[in-house]
Amino acid sequence: MELQPNTETEVLAENGRPHPATAWILGHSPGALWRSAFREDRFFLILSVFIGVFSGLAVVCFRFAIDWSRLYFLGTGAVLTPMRMLLAPTLAGLVIAALVIHFFPTARGSGVNQTKAALYIFNGDIPFRTAIGKFITAALAIGSGHSLGPEDPSLQIGACLASLLGRRMRLSRDRMRLIAPVGAAAGLAAAFNAPISAVLFVIEEVIGRWSAGILGSVVLSAISGVVVMRWFLGSEPLFRVPAVELKNPTELIAYAALGVIGGLLSVVFASSITTLRPKCKALPKWTQYFQPAIAGLLIGVIAMLGAPQVMGAGYDYIDQAMHGQFTWEFLAILAGAKILATVLSFVSGTPGGMFAPTLFIGAMLGGAVGGAQHLFFPHLTGSVGTYALVGMGVLFAGFLRAPMTSVFMVLEVSGNYSIIVPVIVANTFAYVISRGLLPIPIFDLLTRQDGLDLPSMEEQREEDILRVEDAMQRPDGPILDGEKTLDQAMAELDHTKNEDLLVRLSPSGWNSVSKENLGKLAAEGKGAMTLASLLPVQQVPYLHPDHPLEMALRYVDRWPTVPVVSRADFRKLEGVVSQRGVLERYREFGET
Amino acid sequence: MLVLLSVLAVLFFLGVTGLSHVYHAQRASLGDRWFSRGLADLNAKHYDAAVTEFRAALLYSRDEYSYQLNLAEALIGLDHTGEAFAYLLNLWDREPDNGLVNLELARIMARRGQVDQAVRYYNNAVYAAWPPGEESKRRDARLELIEILLQAKRQRDAQAELMALAANAGETPSLQQTIGEMFMRAGDYERALDAYRTILKVDDHNAAALAGAGNAAFQLGRFSVAQQYLQSAIRVNVNDTESAQRLEITEMVLRMDPFRSQISTPDRNKNVVDAFAAAGQRLNTCPLPSRDTFGTTGSAPSLKDEWIGLKPQITDAGLRRKPDLAQSAMDLVFRIERQTSSVCGPPTGPDLALLLIAKLHEGS
Repeated sequence: MELQPNTETEVLAENGRPHPATAWILGHSPGALWRSAFREDRFFLILSVFIGVFSGLAVVCFRFAIDWSRLYFLGTGAVLTPMRMLLAPTLAGLVIAALVIHFFPTARGSGVNQTKAALYIFNGDIPFRTAIGKFITAALAIGSGHSLGPEDPSLQIGACLASLLGRRMRLSRDRMRLIAPVGAAAGLAAAFNAPISAVLFVIEEVIGRWSAGILGSVVLSAISGVVVMRWFLGSEPLFRVPAVELKNPTELIAYAALGVIGGLLSVVFASSITTLRPKCKALPKWTQYFQPAIAGLLIGVIAMLGAPQVMGAGYDYIDQAMHGQFTWEFLAILAGAKILATVLSFVSGTPGGMFAPTLFIGAMLGGAVGGAQHLFFPHLTGSVGTYALVGMGVLFAGFLRAPMTSVFMVLEVSGNYSIIVPVIVANTFAYVISRGLLPIPIFDLLTRQDGLDLPSMEEQREEDILRVEDAMQRPDGPILDGEKTLDQAMAELDHTKNEDLLVRLSPSGWNSVSKENLGKLAAEGKGAMTLASLLPVQQVPYLHPDHPLEMALRYVDRWPTVPVVSRADFRKLEGVVSQRGVLERYREFGET
Repeated sequence: MLVLLSVLAVLFFLGVTGLSHVYHAQRASLGDRWFSRGLADLNAKHYDAAVTEFRAALLYSRDEYSYQLNLAEALIGLDHTGEAFAYLLNLWDREPDNGLVNLELARIMARRGQVDQAVRYYNNAVYAAWPPGEESKRRDARLELIEILLQAKRQRDAQAELMALAANAGETPSLQQTIGEMFMRAGDYERALDAYRTILKVDDHNAAALAGAGNAAFQLGRFSVAQQYLQSAIRVNVNDTESAQRLEITEMVLRMDPFRSQISTPDRNKNVVDAFAAAGQRLNTCPLPSRDTFGTTGSAPSLKDEWIGLKPQITDAGLRRKPDLAQSAMDLVFRIERQTSSVCGPPTGPDLALLLIAKLHEGS
């Protein structure tokens, strides 16, 4: 990723339809324009703090709502009665379906894609009704035992609030576009109690690039959200993380195996969702009233069959798995059962997030691998808790396909950097396998199923880009020295047919001149003057071989040949690019 | 605009604060309710139910110290030491000088065979803060520490802890009895005898203390003292067969010792003749391997040869003629008993008595 310059001013000038609030800016001096931009930048940063505070407060309320919903649906105890297991998610499913169909149709799904859509399609506009719908329906779903999590809805609630504030503040269109990710970061950070992971996720999956213009706002809002959340709900992490250490380097093989298994399981999980979701959507419309209820009933059956842990977000059980409370066989069963329960919940259109189920499945899988490893390779010393922790990162990398976030998420949750090597090893295997078997990430597949074409952040990350060196050619004619006289230069040009010539200036810089112009100057009797003194003041811009090729497009229409020089010595010419060469290279690239 | 936003934020904040009070109060109430049930089940040793109830309590207050501690105790009751350990470590991080947490951690480490870690936690527990009314747990921690040190054969460390314990033990018979037994196992018979005597000052008919004191005196080689205590022990508890056997040996030692004070010459000669005969009998029942086994070199005669060579002289008349022979005869007897016991195992009856007499006169 590259740090992009702030193109705010350019965009304002180019879009042709400036926002009323900025209309006067266009008619004022550059100084006024700059002062205005500065004011908006500063205001945006302050607004980010407010967005973080509001999002944090909303997420706290969301947590209260989920817990109250759980109390009333599933009871106050740690052990659920069979009646509640069956009835709670079923009845809640009926209510949720009616609410979603009649009042909150945009509340479906996890919320990540909707936030991306706000950024790329709707100019940052997310109806506030979506937040209300998401709040109510997701709280009902998670509290009643549907296998979904609160993080993605929190992300969307944050984005909705940010969008509302942005509209009320009459921000420019470009600021409005960016405001949804700012709110998303705050919501996610507050829900996850992990600001770094939230910022990374939003950058990695929603925005897709490191932009100085947005990074500060995202960080500020995430921090504000977390501070508010901790004010009300305490600062304890989501899990009690056991002591983590890697004593034996050979254990990395076991972690690599965990990565491989996790990668395969991620593909199964993602494929199940992307296969079943369109089928459920294709069923007659009246069935949508019952799909969440049927999913809830089936989840209740899974719970009754011995896996009540799959109900709800399941953080308490992740905590228990980390402390070796379950046998490795049962952990493996729980991983499978949770996949089934989550697929049922999600494909039925029940609003809720996939972060928590992903972490749950990863923790159970990791615990199972760790337990089995202890059984078959007792000399390895890694605790089950360590494997569970690494497993969470593995599924995050394999299923959600956010490799950087997956690493930092584990570090942030565990607070232990000694786990970084196992996490990187396992996550890399999971990511590579998942990407190899399922080229399009789950979020992108879901977007396409919904008929939207949002930019794929993974494709952007992995995309081959053309560089100047790919279109660079040797100069046709001689390179003239600006210190030489016109006569000396004309002597060098006797045998060249090239019309456009590059002139190396001293101490640095380049210029260009046509052979015809040199002839005219010679005819005017200026043969004894140096080339540098005869050429126009405006120099030819130069490029470096590693520059993106699109940068060359800025210059090649104005200068027939643009010099490409070494970064170590600006007078050393590596080659030249021309408009024709650049376009040909793009054409070849498009054909491949 | 910013002012309006600030006002809205404050209003929202106040609203959530109100909700938060309701939320937390409800959760605290639910947590307490489940905790009370869990405590009742834990006290009744219904660990399974207690674990479920403490878990339910923790749903509402995950960081509550007492919930976690009691859950850990219930988990230990269920033998789920792995998870209990995780909870306890968490609690230890928060309060490293909590006596109960250190004690439970020490117990888990002891179960896992990690003696050094267990000793560390036991030491923490001994010197930790205990709430009023639970001071006895500090003593329990030290007793458990001594026990684990004894099991690990760290006798010196155990003796040091025992001395510290004994210094503050008072005259409680049951505790002094335990201390006495532990001193015995630590090989400090003198202090064991002191502990038993402390009990007997309070209760001179305490059968266990009498037997213990008899045993301690026996181990110290004070057979006359041992005889008195053991006789008293058997009088108080006629079913004490162990003391009876020990008394039998003690009396045998006292009777067979030719070097005891105030013994007449005829009696001494008779004891020497009897001991010599018993040693010969022992050699017959426990044939010793070849001399080289014992590292003897050259043409030194075997014990059997020595015994056969000396036998004609070891008679009442022979000893009267040459009183110095008694010492030579008994030296040979002691060597025979020592070597046969190392080859054929601990002897019984007269041979055991002779071995004890040998130990008694070692170096004299």
